[in-house]
Amino acid sequence: MQSRALRPVLATYTALFLLFLYGPMIVLAILSFQGPEGGPQFPIQEWSVYWYKHLLGFAGTSRVSQLPVGDSLLRSIALAFMTTVVSTVLGVMSAEAFRTRFKGSGPAFYLIILGMMVPGVLVGLGMALLSNTLGLSRAWWSTSFVLHVVYTYPFAFLVMLAIFNRFDRSVEEASLSLGVSPAQTFRRVTFPIIFPGVLSAMLFSFTLSYDEFARTLFTAGRALTLPLAIYGTFSVEIHPNIFAFGVLTTLFSFTLLVVYGLLMKRFTARAARFHGQEES
Amino acid sequence: MLYDLELISVGKTYPDGTVAVSDFDLRVEKGEFVAFLGPSGCGKSTTLRMIAGFEEITNGEILMMSHNVTHVPPEKRPTSMIFQNYALFPHMTVRENVAFGLDVKGTPRAERDRKVERILDMFDLTAFADRKADRLSGGQRQRIALARGLVVEPEILLLDEPLGALDANLRRIIQNELKLLQRELGITFIFVTHAQSEALGLSDRVVVMSNGVVEQISPPRELYRRPATPFVAGFIGSNTLIEGAPLGAAAAGFGRLDTPVGVIEGVGRGDERLAVIPAEAFRLVPQGTPGELHLPGTVVGRHLVGAVGHLTVRLADGSDVAVETSSHRPEVRALAPGMPVTLGVDPASVTLVHA
Repeated sequence: MQSRALRPVLATYTALFLLFLYGPMIVLAILSFQGPEGGPQFPIQEWSVYWYKHLLGFAGTSRVSQLPVGDSLLRSIALAFMTTVVSTVLGVMSAEAFRTRFKGSGPAFYLIILGMMVPGVLVGLGMALLSNTLGLSRAWWSTSFVLHVVYTYPFAFLVMLAIFNRFDRSVEEASLSLGVSPAQTFRRVTFPIIFPGVLSAMLFSFTLSYDEFARTLFTAGRALTLPLAIYGTFSVEIHPNIFAFGVLTTLFSFTLLVVYGLLMKRFTARAARFHGQEES
Repeated sequence: MLYDLELISVGKTYPDGTVAVSDFDLRVEKGEFVAFLGPSGCGKSTTLRMIAGFEEITNGEILMMSHNVTHVPPEKRPTSMIFQNYALFPHMTVRENVAFGLDVKGTPRAERDRKVERILDMFDLTAFADRKADRLSGGQRQRIALARGLVVEPEILLLDEPLGALDANLRRIIQNELKLLQRELGITFIFVTHAQSEALGLSDRVVVMSNGVVEQISPPRELYRRPATPFVAGFIGSNTLIEGAPLGAAAAGFGRLDTPVGVIEGVGRGDERLAVIPAEAFRLVPQGTPGELHLPGTVVGRHLVGAVGHLTVRLADGSDVAVETSSHRPEVRALAPGMPVTLGVDPASVTLVHA
């Protein structure tokens, strides 16, 4: 009865919400097609893909130096990949451990979760001081990597915990009672069933690590990751090439999401059918 | 005597002190069909899971084929378990489900295929063999679960309420199939259920449990005829329980009990305090029929269902008893509420139990 009056209000609210959510991205995308003489603001001087060419080094000589992102992009992808693998493995293993109550499981749970709660700047600073004290050099693949794992592992852990929460243990028991070892049972029964969760855990770990800033800032040493490199260019002068890069990296993220979505679709269709088994 | 399965005062106490099962003693011969029967929470499923190895045992020992398996993990026990929800592997086809156990154990391909095809055929599953297991009906999934559990050739098949999720019709069909299957294979079956009809209809022996304790282990007929405890008397069939004071032994094997409705004689030693009379043991008799107990009463309810007449008769002390009798007899048809009757009972069908 209220819905008639409420509907336009909710529609406006949703529209505004979406506008603010995607507004910055849309502005960024539009400005990336600025002409060679244009700056990082409106109006658009002329529509062109000049800055994309510039970014990839096909623009010839230019008044603006090329965006120094090539190496840092590779670093960030490598770091995100390493983090994803380690965090997901740790997350799956510890969530598996938490399926049964063990002594100290309460404190252990909060210690894991702490990794995503503590302010990144502080942990980053702490890590920098620690490595200084110990005389260790800082690098994206060592000190930053550790902090990235500490940060993303709780997310992977929580995702897997939720997955195991709904997991029907009798399927594993059925396997064991057929004479299959626990290790084989995990590999051939448990893992295929929890795989959608593993995929989500991986996505979380990857995206969180890929654009992590605060923790990396103090711990990456000389070789910068992508977010640091981009931030570095802001301190000189901003040109539309950075928007072009923003668009490309967003497209990269979308590709990841699409792959994730497709894989999920395949597996959740199966999970839905599986659910029917228990209810009927 | 070699037993397939021996439980020697098996018990389980949870860390918080709750006792799930205590002092469970059972010896099962090869090829026997044993049912665990009891209300939910009585410990029957826990006991089954202890036999399978999924629950730790805190007291006693379990032996299989004379080997102590008390601390042997589930995958190394010669048992196979069938779950109430079937627990099929959702990511595999019917054939993959059935072949799984043999597959992982590295059975040679030819032998595996032969066994799998044979059992698929036996359970009428060949037509669906390449479908995903969860796309099939309840009865079919039940068969897949059985095929999967049996193809690995267990010595003992454990069934945890395997018919609970099926509708009544299907349950009857699969019940019959189970019985035939067990006869055919000669495998020991341990079957957990809370449905009397399943336990009594299928098994060679029934273990009645309540509150984690074994109340009685008997063939189904014995449970009806000679309940050993007040719980069994109240749980199985439809019995009238009359309390009284023991009067000692009467003839050999018989005891007497002084109850508010008169002296009752029944099978026992004479030191019991409870007489158990099955509803079908009551007969309507003229006063003074020799060799019978006579309990005078008044008809308060009459309910004829087909060939069976269910009467409710109020005895002298005001208690109501259920009486089952043939509805074809004219004197039963003539009965109306308020009419006096005499119930006759053969003392041999009365059981005296300790309250």
